[in-house]
Amino acid sequence: MDETKTLVRFFTIADFEEEEKWLREQHNRGWKLTNAAVFLYTFERCAPEDVIYRLDYKNGEENEEYFQLFRDYGWEYFDQNAGWLYFRKPAAEVETEADGEIFSDGLSRVEMVQHVVKTRMLPLLVIFLCCLLPNLIRSIEGSVPFASFFSVLFGILFVLYCYLITYCGVKLARLKKKYDEQL
Amino acid sequence: MTALFFSKKSRNPLDKYIEVRYILYRSPIYRSEMEVDRLDKRIQRIYVPMTESGFYILFCLQRPQHGYGIGQMVKMMTGGALTISAGTMYGTLSKMEADGLIAFVREEEKRKLYQITPLGEEILNLELERIERLYQNSRGEIYHG
Repeated sequence: MDETKTLVRFFTIADFEEEEKWLREQHNRGWKLTNAAVFLYTFERCAPEDVIYRLDYKNGEENEEYFQLFRDYGWEYFDQNAGWLYFRKPAAEVETEADGEIFSDGLSRVEMVQHVVKTRMLPLLVIFLCCLLPNLIRSIEGSVPFASFFSVLFGILFVLYCYLITYCGVKLARLKKKYDEQL
Repeated sequence: MTALFFSKKSRNPLDKYIEVRYILYRSPIYRSEMEVDRLDKRIQRIYVPMTESGFYILFCLQRPQHGYGIGQMVKMMTGGALTISAGTMYGTLSKMEADGLIAFVREEEKRKLYQITPLGEEILNLELERIERLYQNSRGEIYHG
């Protein structure tokens, strides 16, 4: 049994570029990712190698043709995590810079970000406005049993949601703008 | 996107495009006026003018080909100057198929082969004319259509 380690890292839906970079660093240090589950990353010991990691957001829409296409391009698919698909390719097999990317123009990157916004951000906002806020207000008003406990609970969730929505919203907008200006 | 103004006197190649769409799609049995209008504008918006990747994909699909095959052809044709990556290729092919510019031909070992449709050919020809015009003008020649 090879040596394994599990790390806890929080990457939001807007942090995929950082996640790719981090996974590449880990592989350079001799740890290759075997499984990602929300915020738990399981690594296995391996020979240190410069391997490029790329994430694509497909949200369950992937199919056999999609995977075959990526396989043809030299990408190894090895895990799925919350709608994101994980690919890797050794840097040694990359001839041009574009070979190391899964998107070659800004338009397709923008579409990916838009897909993330539509299927992740919006539901988050809906839950926030339709579930969290009403419950928070009701708890504060005291019209619910154990009101004080729920007030604190929903209060914390409220702050967390506010932070997440703002952080992701701003970062995704910035990424979209960056990709718009790319070729 | 620049607004497109059509006048009977202008020799805008887009006139031809609108004509083609008119013939193909404007029979009242087939579609409603509004829907055709919306389709026209949408195809115009997306494919005129075309992105480089879009042009090369459409150009290569004059023969049946699958995604990776197109990618290799483009890399060879352009001498490595243009690479279409996996995600971009998949997305563009899906979009073009949905818009009716290319059609699924057959499947070989889990690879879908596509080919250009008549509509795709019309749009490709428009783009080729545009490129021809740009090229001629760039060499100081007057474009005569």
